[in-house]
Amino acid sequence: MVYTVKSPALLIIGIIMVAWGWLNAAGQVDGMQSYLQKSAYGDHMKVKEKFDAESRVATEIAAAEGKPAPDMKMPKSKFDSAKATQTKMSYYFGGAFVLIGLLTLLWKPSEGHLDYYISVVPGIAYILLIAFIVRWGLDPVFANWGKAAEPTLGWNFAKILNLNYVVLGIVIGMIIVNVFKIPAWAANGVRTARFFLKSGVILLGTLYSAAELAQLGGLSIVMIGVFVLGSVGLVLFMGKRMGTPNSMTAVLSAGMGVCGVSATVAASPVVQAKAEEIAYTIGTILIFGVGCMFIFPTIGHLLGMGPVQFGAWAGTGILNSAQVAGAALAFDPHGIETLKVAEIFNITRVLFLPIIVLWLAAWYVKHEVGAEKINLGQVLVAKFPVFVLGFIAMFALSSIGTFAPAGHYAGKYFSSAEVKEDKLLKAKEVRALEGEIAKMRTPEETKALQDLIANKKLMTREQSQTLRSVAKIEGLDPLAKGALDKAHKAAQHDSKTIKAYRNWIAWLFAFGLIGLGMQITGKALKQAGGAPLIIGGVVGTLKAVGSLIVVLLFVKEFI
Amino acid sequence: MEAPKFERGTSLSIFVSDRREDFSALIFAFAIAFGVLFLA
Repeated sequence: MVYTVKSPALLIIGIIMVAWGWLNAAGQVDGMQSYLQKSAYGDHMKVKEKFDAESRVATEIAAAEGKPAPDMKMPKSKFDSAKATQTKMSYYFGGAFVLIGLLTLLWKPSEGHLDYYISVVPGIAYILLIAFIVRWGLDPVFANWGKAAEPTLGWNFAKILNLNYVVLGIVIGMIIVNVFKIPAWAANGVRTARFFLKSGVILLGTLYSAAELAQLGGLSIVMIGVFVLGSVGLVLFMGKRMGTPNSMTAVLSAGMGVCGVSATVAASPVVQAKAEEIAYTIGTILIFGVGCMFIFPTIGHLLGMGPVQFGAWAGTGILNSAQVAGAALAFDPHGIETLKVAEIFNITRVLFLPIIVLWLAAWYVKHEVGAEKINLGQVLVAKFPVFVLGFIAMFALSSIGTFAPAGHYAGKYFSSAEVKEDKLLKAKEVRALEGEIAKMRTPEETKALQDLIANKKLMTREQSQTLRSVAKIEGLDPLAKGALDKAHKAAQHDSKTIKAYRNWIAWLFAFGLIGLGMQITGKALKQAGGAPLIIGGVVGTLKAVGSLIVVLLFVKEFI
Repeated sequence: MEAPKFERGTSLSIFVSDRREDFSALIFAFAIAFGVLFLA
């Protein structure tokens, strides 16, 4: 069988990409880009303003000395870098697609490996073009609309409804397959979606580290552990009782237990979930999460909960990261205390992902193959999804500090040695801190503050955490509090390597999810039935009520 | 009847088996990870 379909589509996609690259490089679309990349453009204007001022001064000095005006170059802003990235990607991919597009038009394909692999390229180009539109166009447009509507609505609908490239990618894919149908020349390439999704999941392991998990508060680990594992276990139990397919049950359990959309995506290839099962799970999580986001703050206020209590409850009971942040901010719009606590619980939950992925892989293999009748070990060896081991290997490498200093979380890490000279505490700030030594409550706090005063920067991660709680002491001098915040920020760094991985993961997920969306038909969604929605609703409600009771009983002032 | 020689993959994948897809994804992801680490 010959797979390659003769069509000018690949050539046209390639030309569109190259044209976009050229328009970007030539500055022809700067007006549109300044809207799409609003914050990067804001940075660009600041850099330009500073450069213009420096250039003016240098020219005046040169003129006064009778010398020619110096040849100065404006430093690159975030806006320039974003545009350069788009240009580079458009040229590389567009160029390759133009060449292969010409080849397929001129070449007479015959059955074989070359024909098979060439036939995949137009579909890849098709999805990639949509991914470009989603990531560079729709995602920022919705982010801008969400922000613009915030004063009127009182909440950012794009953030809360998760209208980012993940959800938009699936939706666009679904629209294409249900309204326009996938063109024949692209059909083979769409089947690469799961491969790219698996690659993204493996890379996801680089973002976590075991040390970060150990650093988090004991209560948050115990509480989240109980609720995450409990929710997963309950969904698996109910799914079996209600007779839902194993892949549907497993992917729903990851979504309900761990962290919503990302966990669903990460677990889907592990349990060979169908595209419509992923869409169904994400839909259930988002609908439930949006409801929680509005109900939680009201209940919190009615029960007179404090910021720590509410943060712990929202971080445990709400399923999706954006909605956790939304509920915390809705509860406490003026302070960030609630948000911080909620985020600690949220991070803990995300860090349970490797454990859940392993559990689901073993559970799925056992139930799908009927391993109770045969040797589980043999079945695991034969059927275990190998890419999960890749995810675990990446997590292990990340934990020992291969990609970023050990102990980082999502690329953020503590380093005293990397604190820049201009970020050291000033004499005035040191004096303010000296005046607060008497307020320290424990010998550790006193020692941490003395070390900070002596070195003008934080020396260890433990001391950094100790002084984070010191900064919360009531009646602290504002200058001293500001100095503690400044010292904390100065010692926190971002890993460039992890940033690059995040970018790769985002592209792999965008690509994979658009392709998956293209496999979701309305008919298939109907076939999934109402059982998963019932399971999701029951488990989600139990989790929310259970975590509320635990929080009210055990969480007081500090974690 | 003998199966056609190049009737490959499944409706969800271009690879002949899930295991092949897993290993390919593994190689691809590690190539990205170490490529970024050493080249970037």
